[in-house]
Amino acid sequence: MNAVSSSSALRRLAAPGLVLLMTVAIVLWAWPESLPLWRSVAIVSAWAGSGLLAASLLLMVREPHLAQLLGGLENMYRWHHRSGILAYVLLLCHPLALTLDSWLESPQLAWQMLAPWAHSWPVWLGWAALLLLMFGLSVTFVLRLPYRLWRHLHFSLGLGVLLGLAHVYALLGGVTLLLVLLVAAALALGWRLIASDLGVAAHPYRVTQVSHPSGASIEIRLAPCAGSLAVSPGQFVLAAFNDGPHFHGCGEYHPFSVSAIHADHSLSLNIKAFGPCTQKLQQLETDVLVRLQGPFGIFLDSLPAAPQLWVAGGIGITPFIAELRAHPRSQPTTLLYLFRNAAEAAFLDELTALSTADPKFELLAQAGERGLPDFAAMLEKIGQLQARVVYICGPAPMVNALLPHLQQAGISDTAIHFEKFDFR
Amino acid sequence: MRTLFILSTIIFWLAAGGVWLADYLRATPPEQTAPAAIAAPREYSLADVATHNHQHDCWMAIEGQVYDLTGYVPAHPAAPEIILAWCGKEASQAWQTKTRGRPHSPYAQNLLPQYRTGKLRQTP
Repeated sequence: MNAVSSSSALRRLAAPGLVLLMTVAIVLWAWPESLPLWRSVAIVSAWAGSGLLAASLLLMVREPHLAQLLGGLENMYRWHHRSGILAYVLLLCHPLALTLDSWLESPQLAWQMLAPWAHSWPVWLGWAALLLLMFGLSVTFVLRLPYRLWRHLHFSLGLGVLLGLAHVYALLGGVTLLLVLLVAAALALGWRLIASDLGVAAHPYRVTQVSHPSGASIEIRLAPCAGSLAVSPGQFVLAAFNDGPHFHGCGEYHPFSVSAIHADHSLSLNIKAFGPCTQKLQQLETDVLVRLQGPFGIFLDSLPAAPQLWVAGGIGITPFIAELRAHPRSQPTTLLYLFRNAAEAAFLDELTALSTADPKFELLAQAGERGLPDFAAMLEKIGQLQARVVYICGPAPMVNALLPHLQQAGISDTAIHFEKFDFR
Repeated sequence: MRTLFILSTIIFWLAAGGVWLADYLRATPPEQTAPAAIAAPREYSLADVATHNHQHDCWMAIEGQVYDLTGYVPAHPAAPEIILAWCGKEASQAWQTKTRGRPHSPYAQNLLPQYRTGKLRQTP
């Protein structure tokens, strides 16, 4: 692995490092002494869960500099999910461990420890927090709800965290560490709600051009109305579209990869219809105002001085076309572009022209209406495969199916880079 | 993650249901608990209680009864200094208000009798 990709790998470790550091520090601070076993387990699980929840909230903050430090927004969200679910499991252990401690006295006392009606409001706060976490996670994991409804219900988790910390405050009083956690949680939630979801930190842009690079997507050009975002190829922005004379924007933020960065600081985005909001966007017109947040993503940040294989599935071509438009290839690069049919393949003519003009760039385009292609046969066509660093962008089933073939071909995991762009 | 969530939630509710069932099945008839309740208590003065005034020997007088809370002190949810301040003292008001105007929970009310060691001698 070269120095640039080492730095990228280190940044990816920053998010789990933050989670581990916060949790271990809090557990060491709260470590119980001279207590019965199960009461100690209850205390440790409660504080470890609180630390993980606070870390989970910090990893939900959408701030470009923070995301860059912590290995990209997708890496942050991955650890936001992991720390959240681990916190939930530990917090379930908390009342059960207290109950076991009482069980050693008598089963009756154990039930009184567990039954909410045997307690007063400080304990009810804890129960309310746990039930809200249970509800919020059920919505996340069990039901497959429309994005907008899911996003609103997901906020019950944030409320659950605040109620949980209030439960500890009501029982223990103003412990310094708890106050620090409360402030950190409130700031993280406040930043997310005010700066990100309400868009206070967003940059205003205006749609100056709408084109149709394929029958299934549009490419739009956006000019900054004030300060511009410093975007690099491979990154994405979160965009919320206002209304136009004949266009009704859905007003909520969705992620879109940048397809071109222009010298006049304007940006192009490639937008495919996936859900109700992106379907509406296919009728977008010029002069509509757009609010942009970002840029996010480190997908093509560390392109190495080595031969590369790029694999794009459908709309996953977008970060690669941005890179190709920005720089000529300095290393031999093969792009394997997979799509359903030529009519849906965005930028195919432009990519063909680029491959003709640039001797270091090779295009292998493959249409396939049904299921996944024969990856083994495709990879056989690529020379020096083992020496290549691989970048994949496409739907999760394609990425999951391709990975074993690359590993069988002798490419190490550290030489394979991909992002799945799942923001739930 | 999804599997971990579903499994842990199911185990939690099964465990909670198990504790309720154990309580339901083992519920002791009131007459069987009566002998313990009428055991003759020893009497202590406030001066006796005052000699047990530290972390490793902590008695309190609460509502006419004397409790040896040495074993409970480490398990008290709030910071140790809050409960330790009442060792060796008449602590009825602290018990009734938690010094913040809030009574202790029914669970705590049920827990307290386990630590009863005698009765407070009324002084003329």
